[in-house]
Amino acid sequence: MASSLGQRTRHLAFLPYAVFLFIFLIWPGLYVFRQALNQSAGERNPMIEAVTGQYRSSFIFSLQLSFISSAIGLVIGSAVAIAIMQLADVRGLRNILVGYSSVAANMGGIPLAFAFLAAFGMQGLATRLLKEINIDIIGWGFKISDFWGIVLVYLYFQIPLMTLVLVPALDGLRRTWAEAAQSLGATVSQYWRFIALPILTPAILGGFLLLVANAFAAYATAYALSSGGSKLVPVQIRFFLQGETITGKSNLGYALAAWMVIITAMLVAGFQVMTRRAERWRQ
Amino acid sequence: MRLGRFIAWLVVGVVALFYVVPMIAMTRFAFQRIPVIKLSLGNVFDKWTVAPLFESFTESEFRSSATLSLMLAVATALLTLVLLVPTMAIAHLRSPRMRRLIELSATLPFVVPAIALVVGFAGTFRETLPILIRSSFGLVPLYVVTALPFTHRTIENGLAALDLRTLVNASRSLGASWTRTMIFVIAPNIRASIATASFLAFTVVLGEFTIASLLLKNTLPLYLAYAQGRNPQGAFAVGIVLIIVSTIFVALSNRLGKVVRA
Amino acid sequence: MTRNIVFSDISKSFGSVNALSHFSLSVDEGELVTLLGPSGCGKSTALRVAAGFEAADSGDVLIGGVSVIASPANKRGIGMVFQNYSLFPHLKISENVEFGMRVRKMSRTSRTARVGELLDLVRLAGVADRYPHQISGGQQQRVALARALAVEPRVLLLDEPLSALDATVRVEVRDEIRRIQRASGIATVFVTHDQDEALAISDRICVMTEGRIEQVGTPVVVYRAPATAFVARFVGKVNDLGVDVVSSTKLRLRGHRFAFEMKPGAAGAGAAGREAQMLIRPEDVRVAAAISTEDSENGIHGVVRTINFGGATTSIDVQVVGTDHFVRVADNTRTMNFQIGDAVIVEFDTERALLI
Repeated sequence: MASSLGQRTRHLAFLPYAVFLFIFLIWPGLYVFRQALNQSAGERNPMIEAVTGQYRSSFIFSLQLSFISSAIGLVIGSAVAIAIMQLADVRGLRNILVGYSSVAANMGGIPLAFAFLAAFGMQGLATRLLKEINIDIIGWGFKISDFWGIVLVYLYFQIPLMTLVLVPALDGLRRTWAEAAQSLGATVSQYWRFIALPILTPAILGGFLLLVANAFAAYATAYALSSGGSKLVPVQIRFFLQGETITGKSNLGYALAAWMVIITAMLVAGFQVMTRRAERWRQ
Repeated sequence: MRLGRFIAWLVVGVVALFYVVPMIAMTRFAFQRIPVIKLSLGNVFDKWTVAPLFESFTESEFRSSATLSLMLAVATALLTLVLLVPTMAIAHLRSPRMRRLIELSATLPFVVPAIALVVGFAGTFRETLPILIRSSFGLVPLYVVTALPFTHRTIENGLAALDLRTLVNASRSLGASWTRTMIFVIAPNIRASIATASFLAFTVVLGEFTIASLLLKNTLPLYLAYAQGRNPQGAFAVGIVLIIVSTIFVALSNRLGKVVRA
Repeated sequence: MTRNIVFSDISKSFGSVNALSHFSLSVDEGELVTLLGPSGCGKSTALRVAAGFEAADSGDVLIGGVSVIASPANKRGIGMVFQNYSLFPHLKISENVEFGMRVRKMSRTSRTARVGELLDLVRLAGVADRYPHQISGGQQQRVALARALAVEPRVLLLDEPLSALDATVRVEVRDEIRRIQRASGIATVFVTHDQDEALAISDRICVMTEGRIEQVGTPVVVYRAPATAFVARFVGKVNDLGVDVVSSTKLRLRGHRFAFEMKPGAAGAGAAGREAQMLIRPEDVRVAAAISTEDSENGIHGVVRTINFGGATTSIDVQVVGTDHFVRVADNTRTMNFQIGDAVIVEFDTERALLI
């Protein structure tokens, strides 16, 4: 078939997209790194300073929040996914749960924070209802704006995200494998130990990494819940680079951002590796 | 097995409760003019009113921010389509290597969190092209980048489901130019993908806070954040509407997504 | 303990559908019996009941003379090969084959030795360290067979193991299965809808439809002496011709004048004048060149309408002059020297024909 687009024209066609990505994604990314490695005389390398001293606690706080909300999200999200498969015969249940999961997983920061303030804040509806049955969470020191409060809010999108990752993986567990294992004499627990769990592990691990990256980058929710959010890395970055003002320490802000990119990149890379392995076995 | 089913229902029940309670709480707070402390079994159905919502609607800040968000959403959807559809179509037709490269590049936005993206963007153009930062429409390319992983996958699915080569060959052999082919042959055949991608773009724009906040643009999510202090019931009411609208968009995307993949 | 399996009066329905009705069959040591039939005939259900993946509504399954109907699937001492997705994707071939032995906690040395033996048996010694997705479909099924045999089952159950394979590979793997089964001497139940497969490898064929057994017999018997019209139609090709019964020994093609001989007693207790169908195989029809295409009372004249060249054999379709009857005739290509439009005389050898 005669090509009416020559070689050169063909590559020209990708130019707009490539240029766009370069200007609005790659160049800003490079700028962040350039500024982060920009060291004024007499000061320490911003990249190093960003992860030592007082800023170290920001990273630890952010990562703790991400890992814990992801770990809990992994357990509960997996439980939901398994429950969906167990109750596969209930008509419509799977569609409703998977459908709402895709809504909840994308739930935007501000409205979600509002919802949890309304439910579990000091004047929250659930807080009040729990009090009626003698569970005084405020009395226990629970605050929606503190660490565990934010974890609770993050769970709202972490749980469904894990569910969405795991349901297709469970679908991919061929019934034939379970039957083959049985025919070879395996008990249920042996099946899970030797067959099902190993096959699911890449998906589960990959899902976990995705959840961590998701929580780590989150900003709006913590912002809307305020106080507890100020220790998070994204909020710290904002503090350094507010609007168009240039504080004396702006390089630190960029360093924090650069570290965020590095950490997120590692998490996403890990996720890709896991997903590819899981896909290979889906044949 | 009995026990297994019971536990399954228990899990589903508890999680469903967790999903639903905050939404109910938010609705109640927005639309019932009774403070939580004064709530009792007796007055649970009293003083419900949609007034807070309309109070918000009349606020000029709401109207300007809603208008801005809508315009940004439409612009983002358009720019996404114009950028992606021709490029990906040609990649599908000519160069599997390009196709994979584009796929790889579409996952890059995941790697750069919004906060990093916006500070890099602001820093880059502050001196050179300040108009990009001053104008609200400077947000659009950043939004296109943010939505890229999702919009790319949708269009990829749509194009993959077609026999693109045959379609284009047929169209070209009948004498149509590339532009015509793109608009009148390819686009209509990936209608579902285009619609889904647009819905996704809308959802992203209507929920995006970080970038708008740092660039001090008054979009709807920002309005919500500020209105919370001033008029909490009104803000929550608008928040509910936003959630409902986003839900509808996502639900439509899912429905269409099944069509696309079929 | 003998290695055989007995199905005793198994019935199973799914809701209102009777998947199996009073299914009884015994397969002895060393035998390969094929359950043959169209989809939905119950053959897979019977196999799955034997394996323990479905519970029968009534009846019993005995392996080695012992009832296993109450045993769970993992305790029945069966070996099973599935249609596809048999192998565990995350394990190497050697790990797949040794899985049953690992479950039984055999020592590593004995496992490794046996894996080597089995891979030699299926002639796949070289792929031990590969993964399932790295070998072909035919090779995967051979590995699946090795894996099933690893635990020395008393019965081998094969659920359409060739159906997902390419046509050329199918014959190879089929012959492998037969060779290995003969060598190991295990009672084997083979399920398929492909009658060529069934005819090629079985000791006996059990033809099924709608949950019932139509006929059980050796391939030769099932082919040459079909017990029912279903078997005649399903196994091999058959001409299905409308006839009128003239007398207890004479038939006539409907709408035709010539009455031909029917083997005595075949017309059954039917009165003369009744309408019936005659099922006769293409190789039981003789044709000879005729001088004219005129219809005649002295024979069945026909015109050659199509020729189907099949290499060693050729079949032709002959239209009986003056009627809508088409008769397919098959024989050695050497004897079938006809062109389209040739005039022929058709003769029926009704020795093995079926009249219903």
